[in-house]
Amino acid sequence: MTLRARALAPYLFILPAVALFATFKLYPIVWSFLLSLFRTEGTVQSFAGPANYARLVNDALFWTALGNTGVILVVQVPIMLILAGALALAFDSALLRLRSVVRLGFFLPIVTGPVAYGLLFAVLLNPQSGLVNWLIGVDVPWLSDKFWARIALGLALTWHYVGYNAMIFLSRLQSLPRDQYDAAAVDGAGTWRSFWHVTLPGLRPVVLLTVVMSTIGTLQLFDEPYVLTRGGPDNALLTLGLYLYENGFRYFDFGYASAIAYALAVVIALLGVVQFRVLRDKT
Amino acid sequence: MMKELVPGFTTEFPGVKVDVQDVGNPAIWDKITTGLAAGGQGLADVLHIGVDYLPAYIEKFPGGLADLNTLGAAKHKDMFAPGLWETVSRDGKVYALPWEANSAGFYYRADLFERAGVDGEALQNWDEVIEAGVKLKEKTGVRLLAIDKAATQADSANLFQCLMQLQDSFYFDMQGNITLDSPAAVTAMTIIKKLNDAGLVADQGGGWNTMIGLIKKGGVAVQPMPTWFGGIIADTVPAEKGKWKVRLPPPVTAGGKVSALVNSTHLAVAGSSENQAAAFAFAEYVLTRPESQVHIYKGKGIAPALLAAYDDPVFHQPSPFFSGQKMGEIFLDSLRQPSYVTNYSADYPRALKLVDDAQSKVLLQGADPATVLRQAAEQLANQTGRKVVR
Repeated sequence: MTLRARALAPYLFILPAVALFATFKLYPIVWSFLLSLFRTEGTVQSFAGPANYARLVNDALFWTALGNTGVILVVQVPIMLILAGALALAFDSALLRLRSVVRLGFFLPIVTGPVAYGLLFAVLLNPQSGLVNWLIGVDVPWLSDKFWARIALGLALTWHYVGYNAMIFLSRLQSLPRDQYDAAAVDGAGTWRSFWHVTLPGLRPVVLLTVVMSTIGTLQLFDEPYVLTRGGPDNALLTLGLYLYENGFRYFDFGYASAIAYALAVVIALLGVVQFRVLRDKT
Repeated sequence: MMKELVPGFTTEFPGVKVDVQDVGNPAIWDKITTGLAAGGQGLADVLHIGVDYLPAYIEKFPGGLADLNTLGAAKHKDMFAPGLWETVSRDGKVYALPWEANSAGFYYRADLFERAGVDGEALQNWDEVIEAGVKLKEKTGVRLLAIDKAATQADSANLFQCLMQLQDSFYFDMQGNITLDSPAAVTAMTIIKKLNDAGLVADQGGGWNTMIGLIKKGGVAVQPMPTWFGGIIADTVPAEKGKWKVRLPPPVTAGGKVSALVNSTHLAVAGSSENQAAAFAFAEYVLTRPESQVHIYKGKGIAPALLAAYDDPVFHQPSPFFSGQKMGEIFLDSLRQPSYVTNYSADYPRALKLVDDAQSKVLLQGADPATVLRQAAEQLANQTGRKVVR
């Protein structure tokens, strides 16, 4: 083999991945940015510069969607991650019987597609004919009241993702070095102190990972609110992803939809940077 | 049902192969939209399009639908119910042939009405409907009607829209201006609010299945639904034969209109189609031959826009399910009336979303109809650049 071919080989190996990335990721990313600078009505397009971005600022529904997403981020994500952490500790406990069955039970929901479990919750929580209201014997207006619709979405999301996040926490818990616990014990630390000073700091990298992943997932949320209530009632579950879809595929306004997508990308990037700064390993 | 017409068509037009695909609603809108956005890729030759989407396709995808005048559509102009040719035409071009024409209707449980001592035929306006509803609820415990209060489906404001159309009014005027907070709109939404405040409206969140479930349970006494829905009721509760009646909706104000063409569907030919002549021939075969339309009506109860089809006796027979009433004639009378031409405009989907939200606010939070409609009109103006006319 000549030296030249040798030098070329690595590029040839990554070529398929790069070609796929360029076709299916890079091209749409660039194209949708260009599209966001056009006023579009179906296939009728005219250059509009930053007009679509200016529209975002005055669009009450855009801010509603951003606010809804913010509420989920501030309320549902922390609750779910704390639950996931607690579950991970339980999974790790020597006292737990039937460990693999229990773990599997909590992990399985993630295997269900978002549309499938969204539909499942819509049926279970149907205020008129749902199993949940029948079981609790109270007519809770799940899905038809702004507050309860948000609770329903939170329940569905937590059910789906909590086991998955618990597994990530568990994998880290099991790789924490034993000697740190031993050292803490020698220094006289009890269970609580060693949890606070050894376990929690040790979990920092996975906390960062799960927080960032949940944040991105929340900002891109689409399937569950769409299936549960189509974003209603009165936009209580309208997310940025849903609003983007409506503008593109309901109203044929692909330029504006692209502008929403880019606004979303900027928000995700900003939050990502902040989270990395706050939670990164300080050692 | 269209499939059953294919063999007849291929005998008359040998050499043309027809494949009818049932895509389902609303998936078909996504399929047609993405097809048009991609310049016609993956589109069928003939497309089934409802009145709610047709203007948007015409305006936002120029060339997406073929001009049927070049294929000889003009000769069919006077065959269809009044108002429909205007619906399918734009600036001298014709983009589709009308298929089904649905008039506003009012199906009610005559047995329950009788028990409450109310004559359904005699209701003269919606104040009387509300009064009747109150009596009905007292005597039978059954609510008058149902609305998807949280707007889980896009069509949850059907009754509001129908009440506007009964007043010769809509979300847009013929010039495309926004008339979403017109006096007619406020009147319509106020009726909805009064019905709800009187405790007469059951919630049918979840759409179709909940609606059918309510009919099966006998949960509501009235279905203010158009022509096509009669067959659905008869199929859903066959045992209630003779207990149901049908009439045109009571006018909004005494002496007002009782007829409104609330929706229609059409067959269009894709602009990208390489077989436009054959595609148009098929649309003609299905839509302009009375035999074809009578066949479809007998199978599925789909009311034709083609007036000649109504000469068939099937439209003039008493219906055992509807207490021996001649249902076909009731709706034919409505269809023959001069029709208000509804301008759905290219922004109907946006308007509908805002109307759904406004209605939810009224039904779930007791909001004031005039206020929510004004907000909706302003938001629509902001989104579309259209003017609000008051």
